[in-house]
Amino acid sequence: MNYDQSRIRNFCIIAHIDHGKSTLADRILERTGVMKLRDMTDQVLDSMELERERGITIKSKAVRMPYTAKDGREYELNLIDTPGHVDFTYEVSRALAACEGAILVVDASQGIEAQTLANVYMALEHDLEILPVINKIDLPSAQPEVVKGEIEDEIGIDCEGCPLVSAKQGVGIDDVLEAVVERVPAPTDDADAPLQALIFDSYYDNYRGAISSVRLKAGRVKVGDRIRMMAGRCEFDVTEVGAYLPLGYSPKDALCAGEVGYIAASIKDIADIHVGDTITLANNPAKEPLPGYKPVLPMVYCGIYPADGADYETLRDALEKLRLNDAALSYEPETSVALGYGFRCGFLGLLHMEIIQQRLEREFDLDLVTTAPSVVYKVVKTDGTTLMIDNPTNLPPVQEIDWMEEPCVDAQVITPQEYVGAIMELCQDKRGTFKDMKYIEGGRVLLNYDLPLNEVIYDFFDQLKSRTRGYASFDYELKGYVRSDLVKLDMLLNGEQCDALSIIVHRDRAYPRGRSIAEKLKEAIPRQLFEIPIQAAIGGKVIARETVKALRKDVLAKCYGGDITRKKKLLEKQKEGKKRMRQVGSVAVPSEAFMAVLKMD
Amino acid sequence: MKPLALYIHVPFCARKCAYCDFASWPGREGEWRRYFDALVTEIRLWSANTDFGLLKERFRVRSAFVGGGTPTLVPAEWIAEALELCRKIAPFDADAEITVEGNPGTLTPEKLRTYRQAGVNRLSLGAQSFDDDLLYTLGRIHTADQTVQAVEMARDAGFSNINLDLMYGLPEQSMDQWLDTLERAVDLGVPHISAYSLILEPGTPLAERVARGELTVPDDEAVIAMQRTASELLSKSDFGRYEISNYARPKSESRHNLTYWYRGDYLGLGCAAHSMLDETRFSNPDSLDEYLAGRRMTDVQRLKRRDAIEETVMLNTRATKGIDLAAWERRFGRPFAPEKSAALERLAGAGYIEMKDDWLRLTGRGLEVHNAVVLELLEIQEAMER
Repeated sequence: MNYDQSRIRNFCIIAHIDHGKSTLADRILERTGVMKLRDMTDQVLDSMELERERGITIKSKAVRMPYTAKDGREYELNLIDTPGHVDFTYEVSRALAACEGAILVVDASQGIEAQTLANVYMALEHDLEILPVINKIDLPSAQPEVVKGEIEDEIGIDCEGCPLVSAKQGVGIDDVLEAVVERVPAPTDDADAPLQALIFDSYYDNYRGAISSVRLKAGRVKVGDRIRMMAGRCEFDVTEVGAYLPLGYSPKDALCAGEVGYIAASIKDIADIHVGDTITLANNPAKEPLPGYKPVLPMVYCGIYPADGADYETLRDALEKLRLNDAALSYEPETSVALGYGFRCGFLGLLHMEIIQQRLEREFDLDLVTTAPSVVYKVVKTDGTTLMIDNPTNLPPVQEIDWMEEPCVDAQVITPQEYVGAIMELCQDKRGTFKDMKYIEGGRVLLNYDLPLNEVIYDFFDQLKSRTRGYASFDYELKGYVRSDLVKLDMLLNGEQCDALSIIVHRDRAYPRGRSIAEKLKEAIPRQLFEIPIQAAIGGKVIARETVKALRKDVLAKCYGGDITRKKKLLEKQKEGKKRMRQVGSVAVPSEAFMAVLKMD
Repeated sequence: MKPLALYIHVPFCARKCAYCDFASWPGREGEWRRYFDALVTEIRLWSANTDFGLLKERFRVRSAFVGGGTPTLVPAEWIAEALELCRKIAPFDADAEITVEGNPGTLTPEKLRTYRQAGVNRLSLGAQSFDDDLLYTLGRIHTADQTVQAVEMARDAGFSNINLDLMYGLPEQSMDQWLDTLERAVDLGVPHISAYSLILEPGTPLAERVARGELTVPDDEAVIAMQRTASELLSKSDFGRYEISNYARPKSESRHNLTYWYRGDYLGLGCAAHSMLDETRFSNPDSLDEYLAGRRMTDVQRLKRRDAIEETVMLNTRATKGIDLAAWERRFGRPFAPEKSAALERLAGAGYIEMKDDWLRLTGRGLEVHNAVVLELLEIQEAMER
């Protein structure tokens, strides 16, 4: 097909988790014939094992599909699959900026959820044409009419003639494609202006180097061009451009304004490609970059250590490999008295952190010890200087601190009415500030709170799930820093401070947290030859205390006829177990103890 | 000539005890003689074997132990024949300690007389308890009265060096029951008592009954109390504790037993028998069928310096005499620990170990947590080896 912008449709699919986004994408790929039925697996675009297993999309992906519409013309559809989690909000916003339209998938039985709203607002911010699609109409509990009303009332989008779909059973897919052709505006970008290509994703290919996924907003780019990253301030020579197939590349001579595709330029380090940055030509640069670029900043930090110190190198190589594909992951070597050599890693959020940990353990067969996640605190010192602290160990002495600030989020919870009390109580417990409450369709309520991020990363999700039996949905956005009465809570084992167990916590929370951690440690640390006092302390003042009593009995009695092999085996096992423990002063602490502190009741 | 201990395994019994997971089989009478034929062959082979040099030119036998299973179940003549043949492996010391292990329910004056004539001078009887209900729970084939009769029978046959095996920490066992068992054992006037704490081996009927909740075993505290009671009561009757589970009147310590703890050379004969010769450990198959099929020395391990160090710590410390630090330094070419060892001082300070006259020994309290103390001592060794 020749280049004709009026035949291009760039769109994405937005939905709350489990509303059927990936299944709908699968059906669209199938229907347009780019994927043959026999090549189909579920969630084609979610290629990572973890993505499939957890039913989530972690990375953005684009795919080009030819489609002959009912009007007899052939169109070029570019579907950009976006991550569906709040951790990846910025990536999502860049992917949206690459589109003209968005299919909004809403579950016919669940209706609008917190993420639905968050995604819609974001799509509206980018002036996207929103195409509502009611999915899962095959379910007995489906109420398409009610959900349509909900969309009209809550979001203010006309649902007249909106496709009713069962992605699972392949019902209504044609209607969706026709709606895309009819209603998503074609791009109207200037192909003769200087090149402006928006980077909405990046990843690493063993043969091509780091690759940028782009939407050309102006100009054109071809092999041999010298390109410049406008924010990254570096230049490269283009080795390949093209469009994406579901499972590969379709190299082309050039990419033109309005098109979606990839640019390869033998880029070795993915850190040179910033999502949101603009690519232009070195010899004919655009005057301005595209709007909306911001460097990605990690929100959550934790220490990651190999359970066996000998695996340090393997861990470093593994992090390096993961980072090849994930510019949002950051890591710095760090040492801990208790845990030895490891890394302080920064993540976009808790899910991102969990995913990285799981990938390290699975794909690299590593056994890890992870410290409690921490947010980045702002410390204003008495000498007027400001510090950003991502590791409690680095907090300056109390007398040098003038005040501290913590990051705060704007949180939205959508819940069936009967749980409103429980959620308000939870948000209260988490030091939340109530802002707004709105009744929405289906007997549900939208609650708006300001919450400190460090409470959100603590156990907010788990609490929310258990207190609402999984019925509430939750979304948040970073709002800024607020002044807060924070203290460093230290844990002492046999009088020795264990750096890996220190946390920064609000003063009002310190006592219950200290007591709870001390109790967890008491459970997690096995009895040893000597009694182990466990203390929680703030600035040297002990606020909670527990004791692991001395071991009572640990002996093997019988030895049959000179057979000492059993005893030796048992001893070897105990030695192994002891090796896997961390030495804090004279106390051996099992790795599980560090984890136990993360998981609170 | 180096001292050698011989072990002969008899893997047959009248009935499998409920706690036993060792190589022993009830029934299979049809295979008894075949087994002894195989055993005789093995003994003959060893009397000519030169894998470790000709044993008779290097060793003299200081002790022999016929264990099981239930050696007293099979014809006594077979045992006598086997012991007699063993003298061809290496010469026996005139005062060699020669023990036969037996079940009180299987002894007869005739058998005892035959043992005696074969040079057996020590009997080890599995009394286990003097409470008939507990004996029933354990699946023993004898009663408390039969144990008393067996001891009398043995005395009549001329045996004075007799050991009684006792068990504590048994299901539903009370401290009073244990005290009664200890007192009755002492009253029988034997010079040696072994007191073993019950270990529930996975897969045994007893472990399964406990897992199902049909039976309850005393908790750690109660078991420790029973052990301490045994130590106290026996010491009042002039029994010294010379190993975690073993008590003896003066000069009645089992030489054979100590060979294991002090890593002397020993040769095991028969199914599932273990040996240690010249720092090499080897064993025969656990399976009777494999042994009868002629498989021998299936598991051979040549011990390295590291193994020797670990074994010395693990085994010597089971004996209450402990580790001979001067011998240690001669053997390994370095002291056991640094001059000032904080780790040793900490263990001593907490009352787990004692160091006196160049010996390091575990205290009574230390023996209760033997594994944990050994791990600490091994950490010192790892640091010393670096």
